[in-house]
Amino acid sequence: MLRSAGRPPWYAPDGKNYDVYMVGVAGGSASGKTSVAKRIVQALDVPWVVIVSMDSFYRKLSPEESRQAFLNNHDFDHPSSYDYNEALRCMRDLKQGKATTIPQYDFTKHAPSSESQHVYGASVVIFEGIFALYDPALLEMMDVKVFVDTDSDICLARRIKRDVTERARDPIGILQQYDRFVKPAPTMNNADVIIPRGLDNEVAIDLLIKHIQRQLDARSQAMMRPALMPETNQLRAMQTILYDATTTRDDFIFYSDRLSRLLARFSGRRLAPNVTGVTILRAGGVMEKALHSVVRPAHYGKILIVGDPTTHEPRLHYVNLPPSIGHGQVLLMDSTVVSGANALMAIRICLDHGVQQENILFMSLLATPHGVHAIQAAFPRVRVVVALLDSHISEDNLLIKAGYGIFGDRYFGTEC
Amino acid sequence: MSSLAAQVAEHPRFHLLPQTHQLKALMTIIRDKNTKRSDFVFYSDRVIRLLVEEGLNYLPVVEKEVTTPMGVPFKGVSFQGRICGVSIMRAGESMEQGLRDVCTSVRIGKVLIQRDERTATPTLYYSKLPKDIADRWVLLLDPMLATGGSAIKCAEVLKEAGVKEDRILFINLICSPEGALHMLEKFPGLQIISAEVDEGMDHRKYILPGLGDFGDRYFGTED
Repeated sequence: MLRSAGRPPWYAPDGKNYDVYMVGVAGGSASGKTSVAKRIVQALDVPWVVIVSMDSFYRKLSPEESRQAFLNNHDFDHPSSYDYNEALRCMRDLKQGKATTIPQYDFTKHAPSSESQHVYGASVVIFEGIFALYDPALLEMMDVKVFVDTDSDICLARRIKRDVTERARDPIGILQQYDRFVKPAPTMNNADVIIPRGLDNEVAIDLLIKHIQRQLDARSQAMMRPALMPETNQLRAMQTILYDATTTRDDFIFYSDRLSRLLARFSGRRLAPNVTGVTILRAGGVMEKALHSVVRPAHYGKILIVGDPTTHEPRLHYVNLPPSIGHGQVLLMDSTVVSGANALMAIRICLDHGVQQENILFMSLLATPHGVHAIQAAFPRVRVVVALLDSHISEDNLLIKAGYGIFGDRYFGTEC
Repeated sequence: MSSLAAQVAEHPRFHLLPQTHQLKALMTIIRDKNTKRSDFVFYSDRVIRLLVEEGLNYLPVVEKEVTTPMGVPFKGVSFQGRICGVSIMRAGESMEQGLRDVCTSVRIGKVLIQRDERTATPTLYYSKLPKDIADRWVLLLDPMLATGGSAIKCAEVLKEAGVKEDRILFINLICSPEGALHMLEKFPGLQIISAEVDEGMDHRKYILPGLGDFGDRYFGTED
């Protein structure tokens, strides 16, 4: 049988600690797998969690199978409906903390869509699907395996609702398909935890989340504290000017440049003479000249990351790094760290270009402790230097509550 | 000077920096492949400063009378209308400081245009412009004007944002005659301010004699 013996491996073959925590969530059709996965993400409250749905890995159908599929005669709820090699490729990448491309499936056409989704490496990956706990190679990678067991009447009701509204099917066809193909849960035996009644079972979900949190905590090593600039009156006066909504742009530019210079000088003793300066655009770009006032790097890199206006997910627009970047120290600069998502993405990009974690110094004018913690949890050997710490994030715009607003808009004069 | 280059230099909406010995010496340094990077940055910053100062000359002024500390009225001028800078990322960002040195709190928009590998057409990837850009004069910043592909795309983006064509001043260090003419024809209001017009382009569309990839040399990202 596929039953895994005890705990999943904690160490990679080379003895290195796995960075990425992987959760498998399986359950019958419409049992509430996705909702449970989403609840876990919500409750963990760590940045950089990715949910990968097995629906992305439906394999390409033969012409005959495709014809049957449109007649609702194809069994999608069967292990053979999936392309495990493809799933394994994606999950292996993610398990190693790397970026990957995940295929997309078009449910209205019963075929893989021509588009695919680029996903950056995550610190926690949740893999969910009816057969999420089926393939032995996938099981091997999972740190905890969850089975959501919901009453089949409820499953059917949910399935009809979902397939009609989200996947444009007709109810008769759904019933026909359900009757013929929906199977009793075959992979329940592979699970570490079984959650009866799905999302309604708050006790079980709470226990599960606590378990994952404990394991994550155990993994994160003793963290280095961020280097904070000493809180002098001068620093507080500059903070007051930058936080003041009525400060003119002239002054805002002058004082943020001055603060950047002080911060660069403060970081200066940690900087190697051959450091490469990498700015996270747009707002981090203004710190380049501050670095120039301390050391004169021969090389500058630029990374443009823009937050998606609706999801606030960071999107990478542009990278230009010197080819020699992997050889020495990198000073990564951004004006503000809120959730830490942009910083994590930028650090990951540097690592992808061969930079050693311990060679990265991350410098920011203003950060939340939460954001700094996120960086240090994900990359414990990256050093973080911050001028101002401010803890409260506003719920409605995800900016630091007091704070200076959107740094780039105030500096470049592009505010509304 | 080739006939095409001469045609550009004669164009009423093309403004070449005065070809002084100083400018020629600066340009010689930044064109020299043996110039080290710190010198490249220093001397191109100097040329950029000259370009920005020249660009400001093409903004409209109104007469203005002031009283001097001697208690005497003086009939002078003041700039009419507001300006902003728009840099084409990445190389154009190297020109922002030159603009800031002259206009301290100027608003600066940014535009990222990249070539779409499949269609070989310049595509807009990112833009962040001041909200009231339609009411402003725009100094468009990009150090090299080769084919003009990105600059044309950028000018289109500006026009869509409501900027009037005759309020766009495109500032660059070196342009190819083909690129400059193409741009001037495509936008019959736009003006170009440049330090030197070169002879042409190679098969990779780099300007000849040119100075190589400005962004790579300025930011040190060459191989």
